[in-house]
Amino acid sequence: MMKTTLPAGANTARFRGRRRRPGSLARDIKAYLFLAPTLVVLGIFVYFPIIESFRLSLNRVAPFGSAEIFVGFDNYTRLLGSSEFWNNVVVSLFFMVGTVPVGIAIAVAIALLLSYPVSRLSWLHRTLIFVPVVISSAVAGVLFRWLYNPVVGHINTWLGAVGIDGPEWLTSSNWALFAVTVAVVWRQLGFNVIIALAGLQQIDNSYYEAAKVDGAGVLARVRYITLPLLSPTLLFLVVINVIISFQAFGEIDILTMGGPGQSTENLVYSVFVDGFVGTRFRGLASAQAFLLAVIIVAFSFIQFRGFRKRVHYR
Amino acid sequence: MTIDAVDVLADDAAVVEVGQANEARPAGRRRLAGELSVQITLLIIGGIIAIPIVVAIFTSFTPLPEILADPNSIWSGNWTFDNYDTAWTATPFGRFMINSFIQTGIITLAQVLFSILAGYAFAMFEFRGRTFLFAFVLGSLMVPFELTFIPNFVLISNLGWANTYQGLTVPFLASAFGVFMLRQFFMTVPRDLYDAARIDGISDWGYLWKVMVPLSRGAIAALTIFSFLGAWNQYLWPLVITNEESMRTAQIGIRFFLANQERATDWGAIMAGATIVMLPTLLVFLFAQRQLVRGIAMSGLKG
Repeated sequence: MMKTTLPAGANTARFRGRRRRPGSLARDIKAYLFLAPTLVVLGIFVYFPIIESFRLSLNRVAPFGSAEIFVGFDNYTRLLGSSEFWNNVVVSLFFMVGTVPVGIAIAVAIALLLSYPVSRLSWLHRTLIFVPVVISSAVAGVLFRWLYNPVVGHINTWLGAVGIDGPEWLTSSNWALFAVTVAVVWRQLGFNVIIALAGLQQIDNSYYEAAKVDGAGVLARVRYITLPLLSPTLLFLVVINVIISFQAFGEIDILTMGGPGQSTENLVYSVFVDGFVGTRFRGLASAQAFLLAVIIVAFSFIQFRGFRKRVHYR
Repeated sequence: MTIDAVDVLADDAAVVEVGQANEARPAGRRRLAGELSVQITLLIIGGIIAIPIVVAIFTSFTPLPEILADPNSIWSGNWTFDNYDTAWTATPFGRFMINSFIQTGIITLAQVLFSILAGYAFAMFEFRGRTFLFAFVLGSLMVPFELTFIPNFVLISNLGWANTYQGLTVPFLASAFGVFMLRQFFMTVPRDLYDAARIDGISDWGYLWKVMVPLSRGAIAALTIFSFLGAWNQYLWPLVITNEESMRTAQIGIRFFLANQERATDWGAIMAGATIVMLPTLLVFLFAQRQLVRGIAMSGLKG
């Protein structure tokens, strides 16, 4: 367009501003009506509870009933001074370390294999590998509880067949956390492979062709092309998996209920126990929930900052 | 993630080979051997991943005495429906399943409907506060459920909705992810179509249901599947908001089956229960894998 049309452009801006006015109130109201159900539900059941949760965390709530006494930050100081709380923090961190790197590494390796050959068997590979994605945490817990059964479970039966005396997976404080971690990684695997595969398939083939011309082998191509170009996807996977690892609940509830002792009791499970099991401490539970949320948000933030330098953006 | 890439992913026939497409094929045997080894590796990996599900299904059809004598007897092919009979009669499993279907049905229907409405408003309308309200919707995705479920429990209990379908469903009637996904999709529909329809005298409402929704069948199907799975697989909320047996969902029913001392060693019946609970999701997976994979690849959602 020619320079002479510039004033007309300026007019358009003003025109646009004016065009909104006739009937704009009706237009606004119509939009709000379309949005109302979503906004109301999110407002009442997502945003309001944030404030309410913080308020509860500043109160001591009667175990049976709803009487509340304002105690300031008492719940928080009690938590920070309690070894149980720090145990739960450590368990949550172990979960993160145990599930995130392993889960993502396995998923990326599988995605690389899946993206290589196209064959009549592809649908079968995908079906078998993706299937955990539709399994609930409760069912995953039940399936693994059977496999882990020390006497008649398949894992120990198979280990016994090769002469290994399998441990009592779920009741030994050495193995319980590992056992739960495996179940969590398993259920998350389908999701991670799908995301990794989607990321791989966005990488333009011309990069690989150029590298091949330069004589790069398969491993070199993975190292110098696939992984750097996959880094936005990897960042996404890390953040999501960290959040999910902190939220592991169903498998723990079914497999160990936080035990033996408190060896598999992460923060979420502790919130549940304090808030809903036996003598209830809703104020204390809310304070833990609040700290957990702060940790989750902080972790996502730190990872974004830390990774950003190394992420290759296309 | 672009929808194109996701489509490619979901379409087996159009899979792009990483670093392999258009490549001159090194002749004969070496390539064949390489492909074969990848195929076999994948089959082994797939087999390992599927073990927990396959073992559960086989166990559910094996007589209990044989299971307890030797777990490997599940491969012997001596099948029975006894475990299903036990699971169905010893616990109100039918009731649990009906509860799950009602709860899931309400949540799925509402999430899809409300997401269509809100996604349409964000995609098509100019109105005051649009940017803020969109951030309001997306921001809700960052709030962890652990932070909200105690206050929600208190609120729902005070309303007298514990042990009711309202209590099970109302907090989940909206889906921020659904709104975002459909808004993105609606924005790809050419604006000219809307202008033309308006000139023809079609209302916003009519355009939404007669043009937009039919054009967006794929995206809406993906969201429906996603909402269905999310609702069906819910655990923490139904666990805390129901304590009457008659209102438990199937996921919670199976937990209490395990907790029941008399039944806790009846692994045949427990596996039958687990199989029944996962059956609807497995069917969705088998028959709508394409839409499901597309939905996940576009998500960024908590599992």
